Amino acid sequence: MTSVQRQRAAPAAQAALLRVDDLAKSYGGVHAVAGVSFDVPRGRITGLIGPNGAGKSTALGMVAGAIKPSRGSVLLNGTNVAGWPSHKVARRGLARTFQQSSDFSGMTVMENLLTARYGQRGDTLRGALLGRRYWRAEQESLTARAADVIARFDMARMANEFARNLSGGQRRLLEIMRALMTEPEILLLDEPMAGVNPALAERIEDYLLQLKQDGLTMLMVEHEMAVVERLCDPVIVMAQGEVLAEGTMEQIRSDQRVLDAYLN
Amino acid sequence: MSLAWSFYISTVLVYLGVDVMACWGLNLQYGYTGILNFSFIIYQSAGAYTAAVLTLGPNTAGSFQQYIGGANLPFPLPVIAGGIAGGLLSAVAGVITLRRLRSDYQAMVFLVISLIATAVVTSDVGLFNGPAGLSLIPQPMSTALNFSLVGYRWFYVGLTAVICLIVYAFLQRITSAPLGRSFRAVRDHEQGAAALGKNVTGLRMTSFVIGGVIAGISGAVLVEFISAWSPGGWLYQETFVLFTALIVGGTANNAGAALGALLVPVAFLEGSRFLPQFGPPGLIDALQWVAVGLMALIFVWFWPRGVLPERRRIIKLPGLPQAGTGRPRPVDYEKTAEIR
Repeated sequence: MTSVQRQRAAPAAQAALLRVDDLAKSYGGVHAVAGVSFDVPRGRITGLIGPNGAGKSTALGMVAGAIKPSRGSVLLNGTNVAGWPSHKVARRGLARTFQQSSDFSGMTVMENLLTARYGQRGDTLRGALLGRRYWRAEQESLTARAADVIARFDMARMANEFARNLSGGQRRLLEIMRALMTEPEILLLDEPMAGVNPALAERIEDYLLQLKQDGLTMLMVEHEMAVVERLCDPVIVMAQGEVLAEGTMEQIRSDQRVLDAYLN
Repeated sequence: MSLAWSFYISTVLVYLGVDVMACWGLNLQYGYTGILNFSFIIYQSAGAYTAAVLTLGPNTAGSFQQYIGGANLPFPLPVIAGGIAGGLLSAVAGVITLRRLRSDYQAMVFLVISLIATAVVTSDVGLFNGPAGLSLIPQPMSTALNFSLVGYRWFYVGLTAVICLIVYAFLQRITSAPLGRSFRAVRDHEQGAAALGKNVTGLRMTSFVIGGVIAGISGAVLVEFISAWSPGGWLYQETFVLFTALIVGGTANNAGAALGALLVPVAFLEGSRFLPQFGPPGLIDALQWVAVGLMALIFVWFWPRGVLPERRRIIKLPGLPQAGTGRPRPVDYEKTAEIR
């Protein structure tokens, strides 16, 4: 059963896949995130917006384990993962993309995807020393899956190209593809459209919509309001390290505090 | 071939084997995993000292040299022990350095560790006989085999070649497996690898310790051949010769690392011995270091990927056309179902 199927089978009562409670991060006397709380419902794209310096990326980093929170909890499927290192959070089904591209530039697109899956048979010293016979079958099935992902994202032409030779937009796609190879329960996207040309941005938007239709839960930081409007529900607005408002984009647009702090 | 040339060439070949092994160890750490290990030479030295004291026999009072842990183990146990010593020392240095520090700071700490190690071994005469070092280390099986002086040297060339092949097969097995890909992922983007569930510190430690073991083995092989070892032979600059070899030959490519070992520490440094003497004594030696530094700079500037760059690993699938330029290395799953 894939993660998407598992999500579909999950009871509707477990609405929030991710629950953030009183999450805070201080650097010395500076409160980058000052105790935010929000829920990320299953099977939807939750938008996280706000002006520069609002603490969105810091909050995302704390959820993903890249930044250790000063306080608060991050319940992922009911388990508090706050303060866990990134790799342990990732193993619980959380995948992410970064604001700056995080591709493995010295590897091909295909290799980037094959690397993504955690717990491969040949990924330990013992497994590697046992040789190809031990890990080959699993690699074949992973390769078939990677080929499916590559075909879905129309990247077949670049499959055996070094990641460093891709355009900025293609690198964004590669990050999303790589995250999907982990069969995540939730995908965190940090400005996936940043620096991407309009045509490719439209394609990325379509892919994200398809993933949403497949039932994948996403939390997305994005500055492009039109994209947020089309993709996200609910939307969380942060400013100065705090959650300012939460709701549908329509509700957000009519919130005077949001208008004052960000949208105007 | 005259006796003198036979003697010289066999010596150079053993040095080549040792340098190739050392470059492979450093390549695993730096080329594959991105660890800037500026203390590499001390793990080679740990292997050399360990093999030396385990061959010399127990230290006797009044002897012209002092050392700890003397024993008289048969070959290949001293070489194996040398590898273990290199691995253990690198595990200690790795725990200190690789867990919390960023890679540029790691490089600084490694350099400091190298300087400290040299200072300690030089100052503490009771450890490995201080600055004079250890000498008269018996060559393995030399009495049992009863070869001539030059005959034994060629035997040792063969022995070194066999050890090189074992190390090569071991490294190929690791680097061609998914573990090798994980090492390269850590090298290319640490946070990206962690976000995929990779234990970055664990992977770095694995690579670092394996590199340390190989360094230790290379030191042990060398000391059993030259029968002497002292701090003057493993100063921190030696690490930079190996780094230059990697930069010139090509990183993340074991063939490139071997070529670098042939070109820099062997062909270039040995070749300069044949230059006619000029200037004050020591000038040529000093210029060698300048030339090695310049070589590294020139390659980093003009050929950053080296003579034999990291290969593009092509994975061919039905419906996925091959694209791009470089050095394709096709893997056809339909026919061979192999990953290289």
